[in-house]
Formats: sequence, C-alpha cells, structure tokens
Amino acid sequence: MNRRDFFKIVGATGAAAATAGCQGAGEHILPLVVPNEQLVPGVASWFATVCRECPAGCGVLARNRDGRVVKLEGNPDHPVNAGALCIRGQAALQGLYHPDRFAGPRVRAGGGLTPATWENAQKLVVERLAALRGAGKGRAVALVTQLEQGSLGVLADRWTQALGARPHVTLEPFAYEAIRAASRITFGRDAIPYYALEEAQVVVSFGADFVETWLSTVGYTRAFARMHAFRDGRAGTFIHVEPRQSLTASNADEWVRNAPGTEGMVALAVLRLMLEEGLGDRRFADAVARVDVKQVAERSGVAEATLRHLARAFGHARPGLAIGGGVAVSGTNATETQVAINLLNAAAGNVGRTVRFGPDSAYGRVTPYAEVAQLVQAMQRGEIEVLLLGQGVNPVHALPAGLGFAEAARRVGLVVSLATQPDETTALAHVILPDTHWLEAWGDYAPREGVTGLLQPTMSPVRDARPLGDVLLAVGRAVLGSEEGKGPLPWASFEQYLKAAWEPVVRGQWAAALRQGGVWRDVAPAAVQATAGPLAAGAAALEGDAGGFALLAYPSLRFYDGRGASRAWLQEAPDTMTQAVWDAWVEVPAEAAARLGVATGDVVRVSSPHGALELPAYVSATLHPQAVAIPLGHRYAPYHVPRYVAAAPTAMSPAALLGPATDAASGGAAWLGVRVTLARTGARRPLAILQATHDQDHRELAQHVDLRAAREQALRGRAGRHETISMYADQVYPGYHWGLAIDVDACVGCQACVVACQAENNVAVTGKASAAYGRQLHWIRIERWAEGPAAHPTNTFLPMLCQHCEVAPCEPVCPVFAAYRTEEGLNGQVYNRCVGTRYCGNNCPYHVRRFNWFQYEFPAPLEVQLNPDVTVRQLGIMEKCTMCIQRIIAGKDHARDAKRTVRDGDILTACQQTCPTRAITFGNLTDDTSAVTGLRHSPRAYTVLEELGTRPGVTYLKKVVREHA
Amino acid sequence: MSDQPTGTPTFADVNRDVLRTLEPPGHRYFAWMSVVALILAGGILFWTGQVWWGIGMAGKRVPQMWALYITTFVFWIGIGHAGTLISAVLYLFRARWRTSIYRAAEAMTIFAVLTAGLFPLIHAGRMWFAYFLLPYPNQRYLWPNFRSPLVWDVFAISTYLSISTVFFIVGLVPDIAALRDASTGWRRRIYALLALGWEGSDNQWRHYRRAYGLFAALATPLVLSVHSVVSWDFAMALVPGWHSTLFAPFFVDGAIFSGFAMVAVLVLPMRHFFGLHAYIRDKHLDAMSKLILVTSLVLTYFYLSEIFTALYSGDHFEKASLFWKVTRTYAWALWLMYFCNCIAPLIFFVKKARTHPVVIYVVSILVLIGMWFERFNIIVPSLAHGFYPYTWGIFVPSPTDTGIVIGSFAWFFLLFLGFIKLMPSLSIVEVKETLPPPMRDTRHGAHH
Repeated sequence: MNRRDFFKIVGATGAAAATAGCQGAGEHILPLVVPNEQLVPGVASWFATVCRECPAGCGVLARNRDGRVVKLEGNPDHPVNAGALCIRGQAALQGLYHPDRFAGPRVRAGGGLTPATWENAQKLVVERLAALRGAGKGRAVALVTQLEQGSLGVLADRWTQALGARPHVTLEPFAYEAIRAASRITFGRDAIPYYALEEAQVVVSFGADFVETWLSTVGYTRAFARMHAFRDGRAGTFIHVEPRQSLTASNADEWVRNAPGTEGMVALAVLRLMLEEGLGDRRFADAVARVDVKQVAERSGVAEATLRHLARAFGHARPGLAIGGGVAVSGTNATETQVAINLLNAAAGNVGRTVRFGPDSAYGRVTPYAEVAQLVQAMQRGEIEVLLLGQGVNPVHALPAGLGFAEAARRVGLVVSLATQPDETTALAHVILPDTHWLEAWGDYAPREGVTGLLQPTMSPVRDARPLGDVLLAVGRAVLGSEEGKGPLPWASFEQYLKAAWEPVVRGQWAAALRQGGVWRDVAPAAVQATAGPLAAGAAALEGDAGGFALLAYPSLRFYDGRGASRAWLQEAPDTMTQAVWDAWVEVPAEAAARLGVATGDVVRVSSPHGALELPAYVSATLHPQAVAIPLGHRYAPYHVPRYVAAAPTAMSPAALLGPATDAASGGAAWLGVRVTLARTGARRPLAILQATHDQDHRELAQHVDLRAAREQALRGRAGRHETISMYADQVYPGYHWGLAIDVDACVGCQACVVACQAENNVAVTGKASAAYGRQLHWIRIERWAEGPAAHPTNTFLPMLCQHCEVAPCEPVCPVFAAYRTEEGLNGQVYNRCVGTRYCGNNCPYHVRRFNWFQYEFPAPLEVQLNPDVTVRQLGIMEKCTMCIQRIIAGKDHARDAKRTVRDGDILTACQQTCPTRAITFGNLTDDTSAVTGLRHSPRAYTVLEELGTRPGVTYLKKVVREHA
Repeated sequence: MSDQPTGTPTFADVNRDVLRTLEPPGHRYFAWMSVVALILAGGILFWTGQVWWGIGMAGKRVPQMWALYITTFVFWIGIGHAGTLISAVLYLFRARWRTSIYRAAEAMTIFAVLTAGLFPLIHAGRMWFAYFLLPYPNQRYLWPNFRSPLVWDVFAISTYLSISTVFFIVGLVPDIAALRDASTGWRRRIYALLALGWEGSDNQWRHYRRAYGLFAALATPLVLSVHSVVSWDFAMALVPGWHSTLFAPFFVDGAIFSGFAMVAVLVLPMRHFFGLHAYIRDKHLDAMSKLILVTSLVLTYFYLSEIFTALYSGDHFEKASLFWKVTRTYAWALWLMYFCNCIAPLIFFVKKARTHPVVIYVVSILVLIGMWFERFNIIVPSLAHGFYPYTWGIFVPSPTDTGIVIGSFAWFFLLFLGFIKLMPSLSIVEVKETLPPPMRDTRHGAHH
C-alpha cells in the first residue's frame, strides 16, 4: 500500500466524519474541542471530489490538513484527467478562501447589499415565489445555473416543474453548439463526440484550443501528449489552423495562419484535394464538387501548396483526426465549418476510430443559446419576475453585450444570486443566498457519458453558505407549502437526495464510490452514418466597419469565461504566449501597430458597433494582419481596491464589443462576429510582461533535435557527449541524489505547474507593479523561446526552476552558509540563516532565486490555505525551488516505515504531479533503475548553460521537431 | 587667483596658521554644517523606511539584486585608498610633498571607510542579522563561509579601518600635544587624553618615528589588498562583466585615482578658506595632478584591456554583455565614465592646468563622478544583461536608494567638517620638518 492509497482510505473513511462536521457549520472555522478520531494532527486526509471550475469535470483529491484543505491534486483514478489538473483547477482553492466571499446572505437595501439572516433572505424569495404561484404566474420564474450534468441538474428541473416555472436554463458561454449542430447534420446525432486524440497519427485542428480551454483541457492535453510526444514512441503530427498563434498553435508542428473565419473553406478545400489525390472516401466528392481551391487559397490566405500538403498529411494518416473549436467554430458560419470538419473525418474514415459517439460530452446538454436569448427577451418584456442565478454564472460579464442581459436584468422584479463572490451580476441582484464552494458541497457531475464523478465536502464551509440544492428544497417546499418528506420535493437536504438517487446505482458501495471519486464504465461507441449534401464554403459574416479588424475574442487559459479572474494566483501566472500578468490587452498585428504608431503598452481604443474598450496594446508579429485578438475573462484585480465592477475604471472583456449575432444553423453565440476599429488614445498602461525577450540570443537554453536524428539516436545512442571536467573531486552521494528530468518536447506551456508550486510552497503573490519590475516570486516559470521568422516562429516552452547544481554558483558566495549543498543533491536554503545579501541571486546564471522584497501578505482567510509543511518566508530573505523538500521528507519517512528505500512514484513534486503531459520526472539519480536516471542518460538529454560547468541536477530533454509536418 | 606667499613660513607661522583653523567657527561653517546634517537626516529617514517596509523600497530587482548601495560602497572604499597611499607609501618613499596634505587625506580615509562600512548594512535584506557574517563563537558552531568574498570583505575592511585609525592617531600625537598646550576647557581634556602624555622628549621622538614607520609599513600592503579583496566580490562571481582576473589591479588603480581626486576636492577649499597657500603650494598641486594623470592613464589601459579580453576571449556572454553596455540603455553612463576618467584628466599634460586650482577642482569632481559611474557600470549594466535572457531587465533608482546614497555623502562631509574644526588638518610636525629650523638670527626667514 503506498502513501496515496493510504490517504485515500483515510479520506474515504473520513468522509463520514466530514459530513458530520459540516452540519450547521458556522461562519468561522473552529478549532476542534472534541477531536475527531479520524483526524490525526499533522497527517493529511485526502478527499476525492470533482473540480467545478469549468464543465470539464476533472477528478480532484483535496488534501485536508487539520480540517483545512491546503492543496488540490488530480485524482489519478479519474478517467478524464488521470491525476493532472490545469491551472484553474489548481487555483480553485483561492475561490474557496477568497477574501471577498460573501460571509452570509445579503439583501439589497437602498443602494447596497446588507447582511441578512438566512430566514429573512429566503423569506423574501419565498414570498415572491408564492405570490406568483398563487397568481398562476409560475412562468415568471426562471432558474439559471451553470452546467449541472448530474443530480443537481435533475433536482433543478424537478424544482422548476414543481413550481411551474420556466424550464431550468444552464448557461455556459462556450457551449460548442456548432459541434452539436454539425453532428446532427452530418451524423444525425445531437451530441458532442469524444475525440480520441491519443490514437491519431495526424491531428488537424481548426482553431480547437485544447491546451487552453477546448472541451476538456486536461484530458485532451494528456491525449495530445500521448499522440505527439516523442517519448511515447508515437511522435504523431499536429497541424493547427488559426489566424492567431495561440498557445495551442505554438504546440503544433505546423501552424497555418488563415484569414479569420475561413476555416470552413480551408477544410473543404483540403477535403477536395484529398479526394483528388485519391486519399479518401469518394462518396464525399459531390459535397466538395463546387469548391474552388484557388479561390479558397486566395480568400483564406493559405497557399494552395499548403492546402495540398495538409490534404496529403491528413489523407495518409492511419488514423487522422480533424477537430474544430475556438474562434473557428464560433462565427456566423460555425456550423458549416464544423460540418466541413466532420466530412474530413468521415472521408478519411476516422469516424468510429478517432471520432467516437457514445462517450458524448456533457457540453451537449447545455441549454441552447437561443433559449438563453429567449429568456433575456422575456426579461426585457418584463415577463420575468423572479430570476435565480446559480454560482459560476456571471452573464453580465460573460455574455456578449449585444444580448443586453444587464439591461434586461434591471427589469426583473427580484434577482436572486447564489454566487459565492461579488461580481458584475451580483451587482444587479436583490438577494444573495451564497452557495457553498464545490469543495464544501455534495454532488455529482458527469463530464461525459459513462463517467460520473462524485463530489463530497472536503472541509466545513469557510463562510456561512448553503448549497444550492438545499436552498432549492427549502424554498420549494416553503412555496408549495409542503412538509419535509412529502410533496414533489420531500428530501431534507440535497445530500439526502443525492444519496437516495445513487443508492440504486451503488447498492451499498457508496463509500467505495466516494473513495474512487466517482463511477465509471466503458461506453460502447455508437455507430453513425455520415451524410452530406453539396456544401458551399463561405467566410464568417462580420458586422462593422469593412476596413476594420476581425475581433478574435477567445476564452482565456487562465480565467476561462471570467470565473477564474478573482484568483490572484491566476492573475499572477503569466499568459504563456505574451508572458503578461495581471492586465488585459489587445493583441494588435505588427503592421497595424506600425501604421497607428502604437507600441506594446500604449492604450488603444477598440470600437465596434456595439461598444468600445480601452486596452493596452500588445504588438504581435504573428497575428493575422486583418485581426485583433482580446482574451475573454479578464476582470478586476483581485483584492485590490477598487475591486468590484461598479468601481472598475473600464471593462476589460471583449464581450462588451460583441453584438447579438449568432450562428444561424446552431443558434450559438457568434464570438467571431464583429469588426473593430483601432484608435490611439495617447495614454500608456504598460503591461507587466515577465519575459524580457523571446530570443535566446544563441544561448541554446531550449534545444531541439530533428525527429529523424532523435529516432536514430534513440536507436544507437548519441555520439560525442562530453562530460564537463573539473579540478575538484565529484560529489559523493551516500544515499539519494534527487534529480528532475524535464521533457521539453512534452511541455505545452499550460502553466499548471506554476500555480501548483505556488499552492504547495506558500509562494506569495506580489501584484502587477512588482511583477512588472522583476519581483515576482514564482519558483518555477515557463519560458517561451521563439525561433525562426518573427511572423511565423517556432516556439519552445522551457520550464525553468532551481537547477540544483552540483557546482552551484550560489553556494560559495553566501557569507553565512544559508545556501548550501545537501548530501542528497539539493541546493538547500536556510531561511533563518539568510541575511539577504542577494549575492546568490546575482551569481545564479539561471536567475531562479527569488527575494522577499517586502513582507508579502495573505489576506484573510487565504492564510488558511498555507501549507503547514512549508515555511512562510519573511521579508529580506532569499527563496527558491526546494524540489518540494517537504514531500521528499514525507516520502522518505514513508519508505522507512515500509523498511525499504524510496522508489519511483513515492515522491512526486507538486509541478510533476499536476503536469497534464507528464513532462516532469522526479527521482533518485543514484538508483540506476529509476526513471529519472534513464532520462538523464537519454540521447536527448542536455543541461541548460552546460558550458558554465554548474552540473545541474535538472536534466532537460530536447524538443523533437519535425522537418516538415 | 590667490596670492601665493613667496616666502617660507617660520615655525611660529605654522603654529599660528594651523591653530587658526581651529578657531571657533563662523556662521558660514554652521550653515554648511546644517545643510549637511539636514541631508543626512533625510538619508536616515529613507533608511528607516527601508528597514521598516523592506529592501523593496530601493529600486533593486531581478536581475539587479545589487545596485546603488554596492556601487557607493565600492566608491567610498576606493576614496579611502588615497589617504593610506599618501600617508604610508609616500612616507616610506620619502616623498616630501605629502606633508601638507597627508593629514586631511588620512582623515578622509577613515571617514570614507566609515561611510563605506554602512553600506553592507544598508544593503542587507535583514540587516539586523548582519552579525552572522562575523566569526563569533556560538553554541551551534555556526561559522561564516570563508569561501565567500563577502566574508573576506568583512576582514579586509575591518582591518583597514583599524590600521588606518591607529596610524592616524599615532601621527596626530605630537600635534595634539601642541593643541593641548594651546587650548583650555573641554578641548584641553580631550587633547590631553589623545596626546598620550607627549612631552616632546628625544626618547619619545625616537619611539614615535619608529612606530610611525612601522605602521606605515603595515598599512602599505593594505593599499593593495583591501581594494583587491573588494574587487573579488565581483571577480569571484560568474556574472559576465565581473568574472575577470583584471579586477584587482584595476580596482586598486581606480581607487587611488578617485582618492586623489577626493583629496583635491577637500584640500583646495581648505587652502582657500583658511589661507594655507604657504603650506599647500603649487608644487603640491602639481604632484597631485601628475598622480591623477598617471592613474588615469593606467585606468585607460585597464579599460582597453577589459574590452580587449571580452572581444578576444570569444566568450559569447562576455561579448554580448559588452556590446549591450556600450550601445544600450546604460550606454550614456559608460561613455560618461570614459569621458570623466580617461579624457578629462588629460588636461594635466598642460603644465599650467596642473597648478590651476579651478581646473584641478573641476577635473577632480569629474573624476569622482566618473569613478562612481565606473562602479555603477560594473554592477548595474553587467547584471542587466547576464547569462539568462528571460530576466534581462533595467534597474530604475527609487527615492529611497537615491536618498540614502546622497545621505552617505552628507555623512562623510559631516565627519570631515567636524574634523577640520577639532583636529589640525595640517601636520604641524611634518610641515615644520620641511622648514629650516628656527635660528636666533631673526633675519633668516623673519619677514615676508
């Protein structure tokens, strides 16, 4: 039994205790007067639950130390994420402990929200609902929640039926309705299939940003690594078509830049050329008979040769996979585009192999945007008297301004918000009934058919909050006048409802299901037949000035639709491509910037027919010259005053520029729908960009090797490797020698490790000004190094952290031995001994040592999250990566208890643990059988700045580049 | 510009003129004193803020973890060098012209070291633990790291401070005795203490001479060693632009260069305000100017060597660092330094310039600016463009570090202003030695 199993068992048995613990929990976290016998001080319990930061529904293990959750990790048993978590999942703790969380119910009185008791606040809602019901106006009640694909969703449906309210609306700004509609058209199935990236040889993506937000980021990034990483032997090819070099595009072997909105015609042209080459099912020839390849090449800006090359690469793949997403399938022609992509898959014979219906995505169950629009219209007409908005829903911020939600909401008599934190929508609410955070709640969630994760409370609520399910039951019964145990809503609590719903499924194995984190089974692929009529390819229709720039409004890796924006960890983690933190920006193509005379940091006014934004420019050489791009989801700066929308100087999200346009075929919102004009304002708002340059200046920090050479070296070993020579004797390691190996080929630059490290090691947040001035404190950073032409560079992502050098430049210069070499090959740092001369910081060639310039604060109750195993550093001292020494100690203790030495897997560093692509490997270098030793001797192995003779303990594996995709 | 006394002063003149400098000060002196004290108070206030809020108040960052404080530290250490050079080395070489300026130069040394000594404290992130650098016995057997150049600094500077202080005090003994005899009240008590019972007996003179020579011999190697050690703070590090064997002689020469400039800056006003033209004469100025010129030429040679080694080594990092320094953000500082240190002193090839007080003064100020910027150029731009392009960055001084650096100058001048009113700033004894002994024949040297 390893440590993880042990904790899981403790966790599962502790689950009962936790439920008992959260009954009637108050506002405060109380010390245990009567100790819980399951709770051993100093020993963590792990609770399995499901991440609800986005609809991907990854499995999570929450590490509970002494009653407080201090760290989240992916659930290794969960089929979606298999142990990994993305950056947003890692930062979820900051939502749990957010200083701005509502401390209890609020009722609007006068202009502001004033605290109220649950009874009074609920009474307000109940009275209004009862009156409406009495008057037979049940249809004037609307319930809007985020996607709740599970018991809560069912209960919400039940509730709306019982009250005669409008059908329950699930609101997800990115619902991939075009994929759903296209499946209906091509395959006759209203669903979003599972795309088996891991089994494809060639993946052609039309804007699908799976490294960032697409469908299920962690799951698809994992799958991508399996398909693409050289390590796993497949070394497949990935081609990405997008007008902007996004993070996903940067991971492609070939990035094809097309004119915005022309992905559909590109796909059709590729299909036609493929069929012309005899590389596909001729049945689809009729569908593309009218496609004029020359004209497509001209309109999309993709050369005919490139199209032909795409066709050949895709046609020869056994199997291939074409996917669509992002801005590409959110224009007014989104469905047509996705239909074209579907036909590519069908013609290449991928359907049923890499495109699998059956394990369909939960996204397919989101309420169509058209119905949301209808609700908003009803609100505008004053037909809605009571609007209940669940947590995770912030339509004022996240929906296109053209929909007019904010205006419509003002016409609603009673807006009830169940949000946990203030946001743009709660600013309009009359009553706030704060929901529990998902880490404090019971529930279940099915991200795809066959996989249902179970949520359980991982700690007692931090604030006086009640779960949405409980509120619905209580309010519903009060409105119906029924008693507990009777009527359509008889359950005492949502927990009871959930257990009752699950009993037939788990049959007494509830604890086992909880321990596992859910219930999963294989879903047989459903057979589908592709049909296609003749298709004409058109570009997306764009509203606005014909001479303007197409606005690419794309969901942000860090904030998704804005849900993550209140987390300071996410604000301070850089956007990998721009390396900007804290602020929003508008990406302006270099040509346009030169014309306008703006440089990065100059504030630009971006105007569309529906609104205007003023944002600092980020001048990009890679962006299509007819486009500008703005990430969605940027909101106020967390816990900085003024922090709320009402006080925010300007909006930051491009949703403010979008109109009511939709994709006609699916009804989905058109995120690509307007043209904007740019104007210089003359103001400057410098961006906090952490990376000074993306040019390595021939220093070979991030190295790469040709695929063919890599294969040959893998076979025969690399010749001519020289060891650095030294006049001194090599260090002798009597026990362990800890080392890391980082596969640059596998790293996709998702930044999950950065936040995981921050959560694990109590790394403080410094704020925009400090970060801009090189004072950020991250122990690990993801660097982007660009090579090749400025407009079309090849990017390599290099995770950089303390290299734990054997001949460490930091150590001899420290006058007090605060920096010293341990027997186990770590560069130790004794915080208490550090005087703060910062000599080590200067002398570190990698500049990975971080200094506490000030006394950094953790605004209450964020300090509750601090890892008790890691020192919180004082001002004036140096800190850096410790290779998670607290985990090393725990792992060694555990091994000693088992009377053996540490083996691979006993110790996972926080960065390694969360990495979706398994790019990081930790282990013992004195053990010849350990994985890390094997990687250290890999022909692809190198160390950064090797010529300095520092002998790092961190080995990098070269990125493998394809000569030509 | 000033009227130079043509005749030679008598012993009595010497006594009179030197004691005159110690007369109760006038309004002008107090005005200067209060300006300096006010600036110092500002500096102390900034320092207090920095201790309270953290070193982040200074403009340091990654990659410039060191910046103005270490720049100014090295600057003051450098200034300190000329004093010992003048008093010890020139004494051993029997360079007679040193007599009129060595007292001021020695005082300058001590004050400069006292100023420089503040900076490691100001610089440390947790200065309240700075004592960790001392090898004091403790029950945990914690010892400083003797491999670290910063620990060498501790020893080098404390040795230098103690030797130069003792040397200074020993040299003062006969003069203090003269003051003791001429003063009353609290001054007399202090002078009596410092005079160590000096009576001027032959025996005392013999011992005094021997002790003085001995200390001069002891202090001489320090002139070379202290700044060499300070230079190793940089040379021992890996940073491109620092890692160079050139640094020790380069720093020593620069130190002497800037030290002489500072001596000129201090002595010329003294000469002017106290009318000491009879003692600090043209030949003295000429000798100082020549030394400034020589050290400037040597420095120019070192600058060229530095550029040459960077280019000739073929080391990519060194070359990149050099090109960046010469052409980018801080290029102005580099070119300013070259002008001040290499070009400006060339005027001393002109004989007239060597004795012209205004020219000397202006050149000396330029040299001081140039030498401060030399240290700045070594520290800030080198760190700005080191090994790792990700963290390349520009240092911007903040009010705190600027205020503290300016405050350090105030601290130095405060000490010096105090000195010239409390101690004889010319050596009565040594000046007299250079004069013909008094004769009963009053015609000899009696009038002028």
